[in-house]
Parts: sequence; C-alpha cells; structure tokens
Amino acid sequence: MRAPLSTTIAIGAGILTLLGFFISVEALTSVRSLLIEWAVLLAGVAGLVAIAHLLSVHWRKMTASRNRNVTSAFLLIAFGITFAAGMVLKPGHPTIQKVVTHIQVPIEASLMGVLAISLTVAAIRLFQRRGGWMSVLFAVSAFVFLILGSGFLSSAANIPVLKDILAAVNTLPVAGARGILIGVALGSLTTGLRVLLGTDRPYSG
Amino acid sequence: MAPDLLWTLIAFFLTILVLSYVLGDNALFRVVMMIFVGISAGYGAVLLFYQVIMPRLITPLMTAPVADQPGLIIPAVLSILLLFKLSPRLSILGNPPMALLTGVGAAIAIGGAVSGTLFGQISGTISPFDLSGLPSAGSAISQLFGGIVLLTGTVCSLAYFHFGARKKGGVNTGAQPILIQILSRIGQVFIAITLGALFAGVLAASLAALIERLDFLINVLKPLIS
Repeated sequence: MRAPLSTTIAIGAGILTLLGFFISVEALTSVRSLLIEWAVLLAGVAGLVAIAHLLSVHWRKMTASRNRNVTSAFLLIAFGITFAAGMVLKPGHPTIQKVVTHIQVPIEASLMGVLAISLTVAAIRLFQRRGGWMSVLFAVSAFVFLILGSGFLSSAANIPVLKDILAAVNTLPVAGARGILIGVALGSLTTGLRVLLGTDRPYSG
Repeated sequence: MAPDLLWTLIAFFLTILVLSYVLGDNALFRVVMMIFVGISAGYGAVLLFYQVIMPRLITPLMTAPVADQPGLIIPAVLSILLLFKLSPRLSILGNPPMALLTGVGAAIAIGGAVSGTLFGQISGTISPFDLSGLPSAGSAISQLFGGIVLLTGTVCSLAYFHFGARKKGGVNTGAQPILIQILSRIGQVFIAITLGALFAGVLAASLAALIERLDFLINVLKPLIS
C-alpha cells in the first residue's frame, strides 16, 4: 500500500469526524471537535505555505536568467509592505483598513466592472460561433431574467394572471439550479467517500 | 497633501488602470494585478497569523498550564511538519498533516452534502405536493403545477449529468438508455434557462459595479474640473 501512515490518518480522522457528526455520543462529539480544531489550524498553516510558495515562484520568475518577468517585483514589494505593516500594526489598524478600502475594494469593483463588458462580448461571440437552439434559449432566458431582475415588471406583479405567469417563469431556473445543486452534492459525497475509503489519496504527492 | 485625498487618488488611478483592460491587455493592467495579488497575499497572511495561528496555537502554547500542554504538542508538530511542503526534497514529511486535513475535510464535505444540500433540496422539491392548509382549490392547482415543474426540472437536470452507458452482451455500447436520453434532453432546456438566469444575475451585478466605479471617477473629477 502506498503511503500507509498518511492513508491511516486520513481514513481514521475522516471516519471519527463523520461518526461525531451523525452519532450524538459525548466522546465522539468531543473527538470530532478536537479534529476540526486541528484541521482549522492546519488549514491556516497550509494557507501560509501556499502564500510562501507563491512568493518563491515569483522570486524565481524575477531572477530567472531567461524570460525574466519584471512585474513579479511589484507583487513581492506589495506583499512585503502589506505583510510588514500588518504584522506591526495588526489587521484592525485604520491604516491597514485603508489598504483594504482604497486599494483592494476599488480593484475588485473595477474588475467586476470589466467583467460586465467581457460577459457581453462573450455572449455575442457565443452567438457568432455556436448557434443553435441552446444558445437561443440561453439568450432568451438571460434577457427575460435581466428584465425581471431590473424591477421593470414589479408593478405588473399585482395583476392576477401576470403574477401567476411570473411565478411560473421564476420556477424554471429554480428547478434547474436544484438539479445542479443535488448533482454537486452527490459529487461531493462520492469524492468524500473515495477519500475515506482510501481509493483517492490526494495527500500522498 | 491630505492623507484622505492621497488614498482617494490611489483608488482613482487604480480604477482607471484596471478599466484600461477594456482597450486590451496592457503592461499597466498587469502591474496593477501583481500589486493586487501581492497586497491580497500579504493581508491574507497577516489575517491567517493573527486570527488562526496566534489564537489557536501560539497563545495557548504560551499561556496554557503545563498539564494541558501535551495536548497542544500534536497540532504544533503537525503544523511544523506541514512547513516541509515548501521543500521539494522533504515534502514527504508534510503528508501526514495533509492527510488529516483531507480526511477531516472529506468528512465535513459528506456531512454538509447530506444534511445541508441533499436533505434540504429534496424536501424543497417535494414540499409543494403537500396541499394541506391551502385556502382554495385554485391555489392548490397552482401549487401542484409549480411542484410538477420543479420536480420535472430537478429530475431531468440530474439525468443530464448521468454519464453511465448501457451494456449489451457484457460490452459497453457507449450509448445511454433511451429513458435517460429523453430526460436529459428535457434537462438541457432547464439547464439552459438556469444558466441564462445566472448569467443575467452576474451581468446585472457587474453592471452595478461598473456604474459605481464610473460614478466614483466622475465624483473625483468633478471638483477638479469645476
């Protein structure tokens, strides 16, 4: 068996957590809480490891003898300043909060704004390249729900027949989304069970 | 220059540089993206340290009574082992903490999928068929119709994601059973409508963000022009 220690830890920890989730016994519940507590801590450390890895990749890109990427320097400098200031001042300090409200939020909101234009262009290209009834149905649905979402027909919601029609139209995406959600849940269930049975071992790399 | 004005100007120039992407990918946009990733990573690292590692490991190790400290040694050792993932040669030492993280994560995913999604969504799909306590026959018919549409859409959308193939004489034919084919065709309609509705939602949200940013730019420029 490949990676026997890690496999035993994964299966054991997973089964104990799952038992504590479904069986209400004091001992199992406290073991589950302890394991989740450890997992949260390890997830935090894993996050730091991921950030350190990101920095090392950009350091290599910046110092490479061939195809040097100068823009990586901006990432490293921005990280260094934010991290140093955050460690000294702590996250709740007004200056650190200004970094969030005047740098992070404007960039995120502007990216969201760019997304509006990109989505419109993508929708037009979809029609140019892949016609067919699915594309037409997608576009009609997008158009109808854009109008419904804008509140344009909010006054018509009081008219009895129109009210029923709008309710029926609103049911259609709920039905599809419910099918997709159940599909995702079944997929998560299967993936989780494969890890707990030791069939999948993503940790042994 | 007042500090608030400086921060507003930073936000102003960053907004313009990000929106410049509309004219095409350019070096300034890429620089802003690098700054954004760097600041996000820095802020994320600070948050992880002060809100996860400090209260859950460092503070308890420094303040807990000696009798309680052995219980803290296991997570401390696992955390140190996880740091070996940074070294390609020693990364194998980081496998046990990764295994614990994966095992607990898988169990939480199963619990969440079963009790949070499957039970909730299935009961939501069948609840319209409970007609008790409705005021009139008209509303019962309306609710029943809605329930049938909901059930049909849910089952057919699920059928669309069924990738099993029929076997004939022990050999996989690669074709789905005819019933699944019909159901998945109907499911395709529901999924196209759902994706269209989701697209409309995302487009509306992003348009709102674009309008807010343009409004911000105008508000910054207005005093300068007038």
